[in-house]
Amino acid sequence: MRGFSGKRVGTSFPITDEECEQIHNAAVRILEKGGMRCDDPRASKLFEKVGCKLENDGRLVKIPERVVQAALKTCPSQFTIYGRSAKTDYDVVIGNGDVHFATVTGRYLRDIRTGERRKATRKDAVDGARLADALENVHGLYKAVMWLYDEPPIINSQILVGEMMKNSEKGMTWVYNTGAEHEVSDLIRLWEIAAGGKEALKKKPHVLGHVIINPPRVVDVHYTDWMIGFVDAGIPITVYSATISGATGPATLAGMMVQVIAETLALVVLTQAYKPGHPLCFCSFNTSMDMRTGLWSFGNPEYATIGAGIARMARYYGVPTVAFGICDSCDTDQQTGYEKAFTLMTYALAGISLTWTLGGMAGFNFVTWDQMVLDNEVVTYLGHYLKGIRVDEERLSEDVIMKVGPLPGSYMREPHTRKWYREEFLIPELSNRDFFETWERSHKDLQEKAREKALRILDTYESKVPLEVQKEIDDYLDHVRKRGDVK
Amino acid sequence: MAQVDQGFFDKLAQTIVDCDKQACIQLVKEGLANGVDPLEMIDRGLGRGIKKVGEDFGAGWCFLPELIGAADAMKEGVAILDEAIKASGKSRKSLGRIVIGTVKGDIHDIGKSVVAAVLQANGYDVVDLGIDVPQEAFIQGIKEYQADCLGMSSLLTLTIQEMGMVISKLKESGLREKVKVIVGGAPVTQDFADEIGADAYGHDAADAVQKVARLLGRQ
Repeated sequence: MRGFSGKRVGTSFPITDEECEQIHNAAVRILEKGGMRCDDPRASKLFEKVGCKLENDGRLVKIPERVVQAALKTCPSQFTIYGRSAKTDYDVVIGNGDVHFATVTGRYLRDIRTGERRKATRKDAVDGARLADALENVHGLYKAVMWLYDEPPIINSQILVGEMMKNSEKGMTWVYNTGAEHEVSDLIRLWEIAAGGKEALKKKPHVLGHVIINPPRVVDVHYTDWMIGFVDAGIPITVYSATISGATGPATLAGMMVQVIAETLALVVLTQAYKPGHPLCFCSFNTSMDMRTGLWSFGNPEYATIGAGIARMARYYGVPTVAFGICDSCDTDQQTGYEKAFTLMTYALAGISLTWTLGGMAGFNFVTWDQMVLDNEVVTYLGHYLKGIRVDEERLSEDVIMKVGPLPGSYMREPHTRKWYREEFLIPELSNRDFFETWERSHKDLQEKAREKALRILDTYESKVPLEVQKEIDDYLDHVRKRGDVK
Repeated sequence: MAQVDQGFFDKLAQTIVDCDKQACIQLVKEGLANGVDPLEMIDRGLGRGIKKVGEDFGAGWCFLPELIGAADAMKEGVAILDEAIKASGKSRKSLGRIVIGTVKGDIHDIGKSVVAAVLQANGYDVVDLGIDVPQEAFIQGIKEYQADCLGMSSLLTLTIQEMGMVISKLKESGLREKVKVIVGGAPVTQDFADEIGADAYGHDAADAVQKVARLLGRQ
C-alpha cells in the first residue's frame, strides 16, 4: 500500500545541517557526562555489554559517543509493517520516502448512531477497526479506542487487540496500555495467531511496537519488558521520549531537541545492544505543557515543530521517523481542522513516514468515526500539496497553449484537459464546493455527510479476516478470561 | 514584638510574587532576628504574596511556572516561620493540610505536582509525598502532618486500583473519618471515585481546588 509521495516530501525542516550537529554534540555530552538512570538490571547489563559505563550500582548509565555511533550503524534505513490480506497489498514501508497515515484513539467517543458522547466499549473497538480497514487512506491502525470500559482492566489490552486483529487486515501499532502481568506475552500470542504463527510474525511483522523513555532521562522497567518482547517476536519498534517542554523537559525548543535526542539515542543503543540490526524509527511525541492548566497539549506549533526537528535528526542518523498527529480541540470543529492541518503539513514536509491522526481529538481522549472519515479526506488534500508542481515536457503544455489561445478558444473541450485534470486536480468526495446560492438554498453539513458515510460502511462491513483465524483469536481470549487474571 | 512598618511586609510579599526563594528566606530570617511576629509575617507578608499570585493566575496574568515558583518560595519561608511559631508555643491556623502523592506502581509526577502547586497558591498547606508512594507512606504522612485531606493521583489503568487499597488501609488504621479523600488522573472517573469510596474526584487542578474547598468547608 503506497502512501503519498511527491517532490515536497522531506524538503522543509526547522533546523539547519549545522544545527543538527550542534544538537547531536550536546545530546552526546549529556549521555557521556550526565547519563541515563536505568531502573532495570537487564537494561544496565545490555548497556554495559556494548561499552557503557555503569555507576551507582548499575542504576546510572553513561554512554560514550562511539557506542552511540556503533549502534546507529546497525539500524536499517527502512523496514516494512506488513498487512495480513491475501488479496490486497496493505504492506507499508517505513522510510521509503512515502508519507502514510493511520488512525488514532480516544477514551471517549461520540456514538455514531445516537450522537451521545460516552465512554468507549468493546463494540466500538470492532467498529473502529472495521472503518479503518475500509477507508482507502488509512495505512495502519493505532488502538481503535483507548480502553474498553465494559471489560475488566486486567484483560483490556488483550480484548482490544483481539478485536482489532479480527476486524482489520491492516498493520497496527502498539503502546503499553495496562501493565498487566500477561500483557506482553498475550498480545504477542494474539499477533502470532493473526499472522499465522510465530515464524510468520517474524517474517512479516504486522505491528510496530513502541519503546519509550520516561523523561527526564530514565530507562523504564515496563518498556524494557516491551522492548525485549517486541524484539524477540521480530516486531519493529519506534523509540522515543514522551517529554513535555517546561515540565519533564527544558522550556526551549532547542533544549527539548537535546534532551529528546539524547534519550532517543539511549534507546537506540539499548535495542541495538539487545539485537544488532533490529529495525527501529524515531517518533514525534514531544510537546509543550499548556502553562495555564498543565494540560499535555498537542495542537500547538511547538509540538509539530519539534517533531519536524526530530525527523531532521533521524535523517541525519539514517533512520525513519513516525509521529502522533493529534490535536487539543475537544470536538469536530474548526480548531480540530486547523490544528491537524498545520501539524500534518509540517510533518509531511519534514518527510515523516507515518502519522497516527485519523479520527482522534483532545489528545487521546476523544474519537469519532465521522472525524475518521473526514481525516481520510483531509489527507488527500495533503497528498496533492506534496506533489508540488510536476514539470515535464508534456505538462508544460506548450502545444495546447499555442493551439487554444488567444481567445476565442477554450481548454474545456481539449483532450489534453481530459487527460490531465483528474491527476492534477483534487476532487474531494465530501468537502463542500457548492455555488453559494445552491448552498444557501439547502445543504448537508460536512460532519453529517461524514457521519452518513461512516454509517454506510459500518452497517454493511464484514471482516475479511478468515473465520478460522477469528475463531482462534476468540479461543485465546476465552483462555485469557478464564485464566484467573480477572478477580 | 517589634513594631514593623508596612514596607517590610510588602517586601516579603514581593519575594513570593517574584518567586525569589533566597530573598524570601533571607527576609524571613531578618524579620525573626528583629523580633517580628512570625504569624504576622505569614498573614501580612507571605500569605498576601501568594494570594496575589493566585489572583494573577486566575486572571491569566501569570501561569503555572510562576505559580509553582511562588508556592516553592512560600513553602521555604513558612517552614522557617513554623519552627519559630512552634518554639513560641503558639500555633498557626491553616486553611487545611493536604497530603498528596502518586500511588505505588506509578511514576507520573506532573499532574499531581500541578494540583499541589495550585492548592498551595490557594492557601492550603500541602505535603507532596512524591511518586510511587506505598500505602504505608500515605498513612504515615497523614498521621505525621495531621492531614485534613488526602489527594491521590494515578495515570495508569491498573494502578488506579491502588487508590481503593489506600482507602481500605485508611479504614483499617481508623483514619478514614478524620481525612477527606480526593482522587484524580487520566483514567479516573467520578464513577470510579464513587466505587472506591473517595469523597471527591477532581478532573483538573482548578476542579481539585473547588472540590477540596467544598470537602473542607472552605467555600
